[in-house]
Parts: sequence; C-alpha cells; structure tokens
Amino acid sequence: MRILLAEDDALLGDGLRAGPRQRGFQVDWVRDGDAAARELRAQPYAAAVLDLGLPRMDGLAVLAAIRKARITTPVLVLTARDTVPERILGLDTGADDYVVKPVDLLELAARLRALVRRSHGRPDECLTAQDVVLDPASRTVRRADLPVVLSTREFDLLHAFMLGAGRVLSREQLEQQLYSWGQEVDSNAIEVHIHNLRRKLGSGLIQTVRGVGYMLLRDAPTP
Amino acid sequence: MTASPHSLQRRLLVVVLGAVVIAWLATAVLTWSDARHELDELLDGHLAQAAAILVVQQTQEGEDDNHGEGVDAPSLHHYAPKVAFQVFHEERLAMRSSNAPDQPMAGAVRDFKAGFATVQIQGAAWRVFSAYGSENDVHVYVGEEVDSRARILRAVLRSTLLPMAVALPLLALALWWAIHRSLAPMRQLGLALGRRQPSALEPLALDGAPAEIAPMIHALNDLFGRIGSLLESERRFTADASHELRTPIAAIRAQAQVAMAETDDLLRQNALQNTLEGCDRAIRLVDQLLTLSRLESSTTPAMASLDLGSLVRRVVADVAPKAVGKGQTLELETAPDCRIAGSETLLSVLVRNLVDNAVRYSPRGARIQIAVQHNAGQVCLRVDDSGPGIADADLKRLGERFFRVPGNDENGSGLGWSIVKRIAAVHQLQVGAERSAQLGGFAVTVQARATHA
Repeated sequence: MRILLAEDDALLGDGLRAGPRQRGFQVDWVRDGDAAARELRAQPYAAAVLDLGLPRMDGLAVLAAIRKARITTPVLVLTARDTVPERILGLDTGADDYVVKPVDLLELAARLRALVRRSHGRPDECLTAQDVVLDPASRTVRRADLPVVLSTREFDLLHAFMLGAGRVLSREQLEQQLYSWGQEVDSNAIEVHIHNLRRKLGSGLIQTVRGVGYMLLRDAPTP
Repeated sequence: MTASPHSLQRRLLVVVLGAVVIAWLATAVLTWSDARHELDELLDGHLAQAAAILVVQQTQEGEDDNHGEGVDAPSLHHYAPKVAFQVFHEERLAMRSSNAPDQPMAGAVRDFKAGFATVQIQGAAWRVFSAYGSENDVHVYVGEEVDSRARILRAVLRSTLLPMAVALPLLALALWWAIHRSLAPMRQLGLALGRRQPSALEPLALDGAPAEIAPMIHALNDLFGRIGSLLESERRFTADASHELRTPIAAIRAQAQVAMAETDDLLRQNALQNTLEGCDRAIRLVDQLLTLSRLESSTTPAMASLDLGSLVRRVVADVAPKAVGKGQTLELETAPDCRIAGSETLLSVLVRNLVDNAVRYSPRGARIQIAVQHNAGQVCLRVDDSGPGIADADLKRLGERFFRVPGNDENGSGLGWSIVKRIAAVHQLQVGAERSAQLGGFAVTVQARATHA
C-alpha cells in the first residue's frame, strides 16, 4: 500500500517513513503543504498522514483543498494540536482520523489499515477472494487454509487486487499503488508478479482483460 | 504569645481625647490662677477703699464718744457676715460690725502695721486691711473671710470644667464616629482583598478612594499587574512546552520504535543515532523555552560596561569547534575598546544564538564572518554567512515564536530569534536581518550605543 506522508520535521518524518515501511507500506514523504496538496491530487494514494503545522500551506488548508477537489483519499491527521476544538475542526475539515503526537508506529499502521479498509467499504480486516484469504495486519496469505509464502511485491499486488476486486485495474494503476518515488519499475515487473501469483494461488484468481488490464474474481468462475 | 494588632481607631481616639483633656485642664489651671490673681486685686482694692472711708468718717466724728458699741453695720447682703470692720480711736474700739471681735483683727494697735494681712479668727482665715488716720489716733481694720474668695474661684472653675465634663463623652462619641467613617475605605479594601480568588488579578477600583489609600491601591494594582504577567509567561511556557515538545518526543518515539523493529544493523544504528539526536533537540528546546520564559518574566537585568569585542571572541571560541567540524571558515574581526552597557550573561546568549544560527544553517564549507566595529558613536556587531540566506517573506516572520525557516533539515527550536529580539529589546539594541552583501547569505547586524569606560 502506498501512502503519502506530509511532515516538515526531519527527524519525525524520517521515523514515520521508516516505521510504516517496516510494515509493508510504500511511503512518499513531502515536507510542506504545497507539495502535499499537489501529490494528493496527482497520485491515487491508499491513505495519507498529514501534519497540520506545515510550512507554505497549513495542513488544514491542504485538507480543505483536496476535499474541495473531490479527492477521497483517506487522511489521518497527525499533529501536536491537541485541544478538543482543534480535533473537531480537523475532522470537520475532512480528516478521517485525528491522532495527537506522539503516536505508536504500530497503532499508526493499524489506523492506516483501518482507513484503507473502510475506504473500500469493508468491515473485516481480512480480505477474501475465492479460497484465498489475505490478512493485511499480519501480512499473511492463506489458500484453502494453508499458508502461502509471497514476496513483498506479490503481497502488495494481491492486496491491491483484493481491494479493487471486481474492477479492472490497469498496469499503470497497479504500478502507482505499488511503487513509491525513486523506485525503478521494470516494464514487465507487474506481469512477472502476476505470473508468480497465478502460480502460487491458482490461475483462476486473476484474469487478464486484454488491452485494458487485470481483474481479480471474487468468486470462482462457473465452468 | 501573639500580640493582637493595635487598632488605628483606638489609638486615634485615645490620642485625640487625651490631647483635648490635657488642653482643657491646662486652660482650667490658667483660668484658676488668673482669676484668683484678679479677684484678690479687686477685692483687696475694695477692702482698702472701705477702710479709707471708715478712717475719714471716724476722723470727722472723732468727737462723738460712742466707745465699744455703735454696732450698726446692717446685714443687707448675704455676703455681709463674711465682711467685718473695726474702728479704734485712741486705742479704744470706737465702732465695729456685729460679726467683728473686740480685739483688733490684725496685730495690736500699739505695734500697728498698715496694709494687708491674712489672719485666723475663730478658726477661719480672714483677709484684713489695716489703715490709720493722719493723726495716728484712728485705726481701722476691714476684714473679709478668705473662704468667700475661694467660693467665687470655685464657681469660676466650675463654669469652666462643667461643660467639659458634659462635652467629653459627646466629643468621644463624635470622634469615634468620625474616625470609624474615615477608616471605612481601609476596611472595605481589606474585605475586597480577603474575598479575592488567588487567580483574580484584575485591578482594584480606584474611584472614591481617599488620598491616603489611593497610593496603596496603586501599588497593589501594580503588583497584581506584575504577578499577572508573571503567571501569563508561566502559563505560556507550560502551553508552549506541552505543544512544542510533542513533535520532538514523537520523533524520538518513532525513531526508537523503528530501531527496535529494524533487522538491518546499519539502519538500526541510524535510527538509534536519530533517537539520540531527537533527545538533544528536546533538551535544547526546553533550554531555549526556559531562557525565553525567564527573559519574559524578569525585570531589567543588571547592566555593566563591557567590551563587546572580547565577549564575542569568547562566544566564537565556544562555537568554533562545531564550525570546524562542518568544514566552515569562521573569521572574527574586532576593533579595540568596543564598550557598551549590558548584561554579560544575556549578551552572551544573544551573540551565541546569532553565531550558532550562522553555523547551523550554513552548509559545509561555508564562510562565516563576524565583525565588531565602531560606527559613529555606535558599536556594531555583524554576522555574515555564505549560506542559502532567507527569503524576504520569511525574513519578516523571524522572531515569531516557533517560526522555523522552511526548507532546511536543521532541528531548530524556532525560539532563537525570539530570544535575540527579547534580549535586544531589554538592552535597547537595534537588530537588523538582511541578505549579506559580502557573502550572499544571511546577515545580522546589532547596533548598540557605545559607552566610555
């Protein structure tokens, strides 16, 4: 899952990027409000962590701007502004969650997963398609109740498919969701990962829609 | 043993009433002695005059022999029994009043002495005037009971003292009332102060306060004001600390957690290093907050004449190792005898902040020039660097609490400039920030009036 982190403090930003990365998130880090608003408009992030006291453009202004632009990316506000009126203002401006610094990185990851889950309209943490169950919290996948070992990329790709189940996803969309800035993407990387997923989870799970992209079938195709 | 506090009201009452009584008594004593003197003179005059009339009368009637009797002094007045006379002719009693004895009232006729004498007759004191005729054969004694004079004096004294006896309680009452009324504002002030909540620091109302109490209320209001600003700065410190420490602490926590979960040694080391850096930053922030808080709550510091050049040299020597570590060139140029008035401690903090900022926000290999010079009766400190400088929009915001110039990785507290500005204000220094003409980066000038040692 690819998330955007907007935090002007160097040390905290570094920690907030490293922590979620250890838990399988792809993190893009911006240092000011302008950049945050720009990136949120440009990329389909799974979620965003937004500091409010940002230079150039206040976090609340960023939030108001992207919501006005009808960008629905779930936003978790992480701030030192801790009074109740400030919390209310943050949530009313369009934040999906409001966390006061300091925050536990595990909790932050759990809240981000919850945001992503809810944004896809799912009550469960675990995602299911056919006989495959994916648990984003423990980053494990089981097929017919047996554990399946996936690489980080394969897991993220499956996760993206599961979240977008029933919809056709283009290769570009999948790349945007999988890779953060500065990561080299081979032109056939997605094809390779999909090939591996089919090998490990069965060929009926992901279908190719020629010329458009790929689609995950939630239910097994009836023969 | 606790002494009960003395009452102003009681003291005023006692002092004023005591003074009134003493003045009144003194008046009575003076009246008494004055009245007695005048009365004696007047009555003695009357005695002498009566004696003279009797002498003249006896001399004319000398031939009539009415020895030993002729006691025809009529008792016309209730004072008559108190007055007596005797007339002797040729040593024989010629005439006397009925209440006069047979023997001469004062001395014998033979060793006669003219004039006044006070004698005892039948156990009572009498004032007697003796006179004689020109042929020395008529001797006249006129007497008056002394007690009657005393009675007149007593009456005079009574009329002086009696009104006082009546007036004194009334006066005491009136005084008590007047003093009680006058002290009412003090009692009200005491009550108003007693009713106050510890946090209530609004000034006391001055309207209607008498001239004696107004200075006290002014002083109290002044004190309330100072306590208020002290509390405000404490409150601000607490609020700032709890707010501004959140980010550094969040950073420390995040870095520590990253280090715990990291499997790669190099990355874990890096996270741990960041954790330590975060701790240093938190400490620095607390130090800066405390400095600012003390500056804001303290009054004018002790000023002394000092050489800014040598002060700057000491500070630069402290900061130099850091600059050398970053491969920066640090140059200091000081003119001799740059004396200004100020607090050495505070000015050191100011200079340290300026030089430290230059080192901190200039990149590796940058040049930093520091100069202390005379300039038309002023001493000027200048810190130039070849760093990135500060955008004009951001220059304006320097000195706002917690404003950090965006776009740098340094972990500043955002308080350095607030501290510099505050110290400058206390010392009446002019601080200017601009783009450095010499080095292209940031330049700060501090101007102070030169003093002479």
